[in-house]
Amino acid sequence: MKDHWYVARLLVVAVFLGWAVTSHAAGLFSFGDTEKPNPEFQRSGQEISAKFIPRAKSTSVTVTFGVSAGGILNDVKGVDFETVDRPEVDVKNFKSAVFEIHITKVKPGETAALSIRSDFFTKSTAFFVYNPKQEKPWKDAQAGNRPLDGRVRELVVSARDGGELDADGLTDGRVTVIGGPRDSFWGYALGTLFIRFFGIFIVLLALMIGMIVSGFVFRAIERRKTRQSEDQKDSVKALAAEQRAIAPLDGDAARSAEVPEEVAAAIGTALHLHLSSMRRSDRSSEAATSESSWASDGRKRMMNDRLSVFNRFNR
Amino acid sequence: MSWDQVFELIVSILTTQTGLPNLLLKQLVMMGIAFLFLYLAVAKKYEPLLLVPIGFGIFLVNFPLVPLMGFTEQGAPELIRAFYKYGVQWEIIPCVIFLGLGAMTDFSPLIANPKTLIVGAGAQLGVFITYLGVLFFGFTLKEAASVGIIGGADGPTTIYLTTKLAPHLLGANALAAYSYMAMVPLIQPPIMRLMTTPEQRRIRMRQLRPVSNREKILFPLVAAILIILLVPAVAPLMGMFMFGNFMRESGVVKRLSDTAQNALMNIVTIFLGLSVGATMAADKFLSLKPLLIFAFGLMDFVVCTFGGILTVHIMNLFVKEKINPLIGSAGVSAVPMAARVSHAEGLKADPDNWLIMHAMGPNLAGVIGSAAAAGMFIAMFQ
Repeated sequence: MKDHWYVARLLVVAVFLGWAVTSHAAGLFSFGDTEKPNPEFQRSGQEISAKFIPRAKSTSVTVTFGVSAGGILNDVKGVDFETVDRPEVDVKNFKSAVFEIHITKVKPGETAALSIRSDFFTKSTAFFVYNPKQEKPWKDAQAGNRPLDGRVRELVVSARDGGELDADGLTDGRVTVIGGPRDSFWGYALGTLFIRFFGIFIVLLALMIGMIVSGFVFRAIERRKTRQSEDQKDSVKALAAEQRAIAPLDGDAARSAEVPEEVAAAIGTALHLHLSSMRRSDRSSEAATSESSWASDGRKRMMNDRLSVFNRFNR
Repeated sequence: MSWDQVFELIVSILTTQTGLPNLLLKQLVMMGIAFLFLYLAVAKKYEPLLLVPIGFGIFLVNFPLVPLMGFTEQGAPELIRAFYKYGVQWEIIPCVIFLGLGAMTDFSPLIANPKTLIVGAGAQLGVFITYLGVLFFGFTLKEAASVGIIGGADGPTTIYLTTKLAPHLLGANALAAYSYMAMVPLIQPPIMRLMTTPEQRRIRMRQLRPVSNREKILFPLVAAILIILLVPAVAPLMGMFMFGNFMRESGVVKRLSDTAQNALMNIVTIFLGLSVGATMAADKFLSLKPLLIFAFGLMDFVVCTFGGILTVHIMNLFVKEKINPLIGSAGVSAVPMAARVSHAEGLKADPDNWLIMHAMGPNLAGVIGSAAAAGMFIAMFQ
């Protein structure tokens, strides 16, 4: 009992220490941005696509930019997160990348609708905008998030010329939006943790059920086979018992009843002839012709057995 | 030629063509680490099949100016770089090792008692707890997944996943995995005793039913169908594993099965060990991350052991025939070391209680479970 109390106290201390360390660990250790996305841009008509490998992914994704109303998409560039980093934001939340988007031919003071599409976005993806001229540079752009065909989702950011999302801050017919899609890193990490841990249970449960079912079937087959062979044994035993019951003959009398004298003499003669022909066949000149049918059959079987040794598929 | 020129030539040769003036302190430290692992392997017999080539790889690659892990001017890989590139980077060796493991494995204890698969799943708890833990310490998601899998206690799986997700951590992860696998008899027993009462340790389990040959032959096919359908990302590992097992159980390709178990396995083990060891050059290895990986690796093993035993306790609430919770610790896939530890602990509690075959069930389930966990992580980043 004393031991259990000691262990319980130890566990409480360990949990507390674990919490204290881990809750501050993120600030204690920083290994830099090792998964920096490196987008490659391609223009197609009025749209520009960025292809890159996002953070926490091994395969590339494509994000397509366009302007659905109020202007023309002029250019999109990638932005190094270090240049826009602030204590209130965490790079891990910006899995995609940060972009600088230029929209032109906007009526001065009017709003342009920036459309950003990708199958990488989820329901909870938001679009955060960086404007160094604002008191709080990072801001949620309150982008609309709607599903399109397939698994593609569209974020729509409404940016007014000279407004708080416009990084140049001027009412000049040009809107510059600096920002990127934002997902909750910890939400994703924890969510996927639970799903995948229980996923393993599901995989192994499925295997377990498969094995239980197949085991049941195999045991049933084995049982049936055992029962059949037992039945056969029983029937043989019953037949033997029946024969014993019909003809209860003893030793010499039974044997003399089965093989008559003349037949026994014929068998003896046949054996003598066969063995003497075998002896003669040792002579090479007569070997091929003087074989009895028993001997040639035996030889054939032996040769076939030897041949199978050289058949690699049988080994 | 003047004496000045001769002296200059000698200095030039010494500084550019010999290793001695270029030897750094951190390289000496790494050689010390190499000697430590060689000592553990040779003197203490800790996983010598892997720690000898790994230790020697570390030793070789930390000499200055050695043409082993770089590329020639023509872009061709140097000796160990070639082993690494074609064997590890191309993900061939871990899969070939799984082929050999499959050919070595007798699944009878698992087929006879499929319930133990759940224990194998429960023992993956540490993988996910560690994954979460290292995230707090500034690791990326991919790095966290590769560190987490260490607790699955499966060397080839750890190497396969790390190569895919965080190749820069390969040396530290592989070394941690193999070191802790070797230390299973030291790490597990205190946790096993802490989590069980003497009475529970004495639980006797019914003898396993005999498994027919037909069942053994069909098992790899059924398992491959179910697992690969559910987690396609694990097909390279699981496919090879089940193929190896099918060769073994079919009984018609004994030569191939023998090769997979012995010659092929030995060859790839040499290349794997050397390649993994050679990734541990001083400038990459001597940093905070490998230290954290070793710390979390230990925690990972502890939590995995805990998870396996806890799963048996939970199962015992629902099953009629009680399971000895000691076999839960065998859910980490250090085959057959973890099963032996369960057996030894069981014998301490009751000298007539033979748990080895019962413990082999969760042990084999752990192999499948850790491979499934690796598949889950790979799928997560696709």
